[in-house]
Amino acid sequence: MEFLISLLQASIRAGTPLLFATLGETITEKSGILNLGVEGLMIMGAMSGFALSFVTGNPWIGILAGGIAGLTLAFIHGFFSITLKVDQTVSGLMLVLFGMGLSGLMGKNYIGKVATYIDPISIPFLSSIPFLGKIFFTHDLLVYLSLLLTAFLWFILYKTSFGLSIIASGENPEAADTAGINVDFVRYICLLAGGFLIGVGGAYLSLAYAKLWTEGMTAGRGWICLALVIFSGWMPQRAVIGAYLFGGLDVQSFKLQAIGFTIPYQLLKMIPYIATILVLLLSLVREKYKLRAPSALGKPYFRGER
Amino acid sequence: MRIEKREEISRIKLYTLPFLSILASLVFVGILLLFVGVNPIEAYYIMLTRTFGSKLGLSELFVKSTPLILTGLAVAIPMRAGLWNIGAEGQLYMGAFIASYVALNFVNPFTIPAMFILAAIFGALWAFVPAILKAKFDLNEIISTLLLNYVAIYWVEYMVYGPMRGKEVYNFPYSDLFPECAILPRFFDTRLHLGILIAFSTVVVIYLIFRRTSFGFSVKVVGANPKAAEYAGIDRKKIIIYAMILGGAIAGIAGMEEISGIHHRLRAVISPGYGYAGIPIALLAKGNILAIVLSATLFGFLYVGGSALQTSYSIPIAVVYIFQSLVVLFIIGGEFFVRYKVVR
Repeated sequence: MEFLISLLQASIRAGTPLLFATLGETITEKSGILNLGVEGLMIMGAMSGFALSFVTGNPWIGILAGGIAGLTLAFIHGFFSITLKVDQTVSGLMLVLFGMGLSGLMGKNYIGKVATYIDPISIPFLSSIPFLGKIFFTHDLLVYLSLLLTAFLWFILYKTSFGLSIIASGENPEAADTAGINVDFVRYICLLAGGFLIGVGGAYLSLAYAKLWTEGMTAGRGWICLALVIFSGWMPQRAVIGAYLFGGLDVQSFKLQAIGFTIPYQLLKMIPYIATILVLLLSLVREKYKLRAPSALGKPYFRGER
Repeated sequence: MRIEKREEISRIKLYTLPFLSILASLVFVGILLLFVGVNPIEAYYIMLTRTFGSKLGLSELFVKSTPLILTGLAVAIPMRAGLWNIGAEGQLYMGAFIASYVALNFVNPFTIPAMFILAAIFGALWAFVPAILKAKFDLNEIISTLLLNYVAIYWVEYMVYGPMRGKEVYNFPYSDLFPECAILPRFFDTRLHLGILIAFSTVVVIYLIFRRTSFGFSVKVVGANPKAAEYAGIDRKKIIIYAMILGGAIAGIAGMEEISGIHHRLRAVISPGYGYAGIPIALLAKGNILAIVLSATLFGFLYVGGSALQTSYSIPIAVVYIFQSLVVLFIIGGEFFVRYKVVR
């Protein structure tokens, strides 16, 4: 029982960076832009967040810096994919390399350093509910914020006229343009906001989850988030399930080791990556009747080519 | 403000673009170096002299280019068929794993050919999984090839910490050293080894496949125009799978050649991102098979220079990634302005 509680509690914490990044990529893709650079944005977010928290002593400035780092890289992607309308795959992939390289170079002096971290807080009364209290109400503020954000994005996407513009830009940019929507503008907004969230996810990783900075510490999480967007059918509310599920798969390796499990650590570490492929496969088989990508996803929109 | 295609595309601009992009990337990286307190002119001087200033440096250039030529091909072949192979790193590790297994268990005159063939098969198998998922379920091959990299790297790590850990390595995560018959011969008292010839012959073979065979032709048609391929009666799915496993096999050979020519044992870290570097190498060469030798040599220089910076300034080798990505970004950005113009 104790083990289950600590596993579920840790799953939520490990799932939170995934949730931020999955939400960020979801709104990006909803507007029709495919940002394959998630991994690069996250690692830059992790490095910038750690560095700024180390320098200022305020982890919240770190989180903000992580977001801004993600936003900056997203802007580069926007310049190529929205303004120049070149291949989104190439520019996304190059952002991964760029982020990995730049974070390695800029972060080299922060390896092994101790920054100020974001600590969990127990919510009075709620956290003392048996079983559930410890799992759900002993986290840091960002965990709750990420859930509020999920609801907020759901509201924006499905209940506001701006949400309609986003969906229209992603589904049928020609029609959106005819209806007077500035497709490029909508896409920039979504890409930059999404980049900010992905960067925050990265900063959460170094400042609240792992509480350290190492080169390449995102370890493929950005790619897992790209798969989670598909898994959740491009719906923010469903991203929560995927993120916590993969948070669980992320922490199982040391949780199981801690209780004396004898399966080698490296084999347990493979599980999230294999599971991601399986989950993708599952979503694609199911896609036939429900889940569907935005129709114009990844396709540049040229005005006046109708 | 609108974007318009240019009537005439300047050839001179198109051909000078790669060089300008390399220059621009050098300037950009230079600024970043300044930012971390390194004098960029001094750094570039070190990179050049360490590479071209001695027999050893020059040989290292070819040593680093060897796996890069192969991983460049591993990305370029599927790219010609319209597919992304982001998994060359994992395919390389799987090739290295099986080559080491053969080296440590089968001691006979055919050890090296057996390592070579099995490494190609394992690399191909590692690429086959994403390829079949792509062909059957349209599962995004970028994500699947990439994720399998982590699986392969953890597999090798598991092997060197567990079943394949050597008896004479004092708890280091290494296998034992290979026997003599599993080691590629070296030349000129340097680390330059037979792998360079393997890499060059692979380039020639692949070039001939693309020039002379119907398979090569089909790959090009599928990549350039899937609809036309269908009308021509080409089985697109089959071509996708073949192109991908051919790429995987070559990346597997890169793993064998690194393990048998350089490391002489299996270790947890075999490649400083050679598989990932294959992507910008193939992009820079525009999928052109012969041009891959050139772009791989440029990147080989970056790796030799990068390790020189690592020893001189303790700059992580990851700085090479910055340069790689910038070159490609400058090229695709620059190409836009060569082909299009902005009109008001």
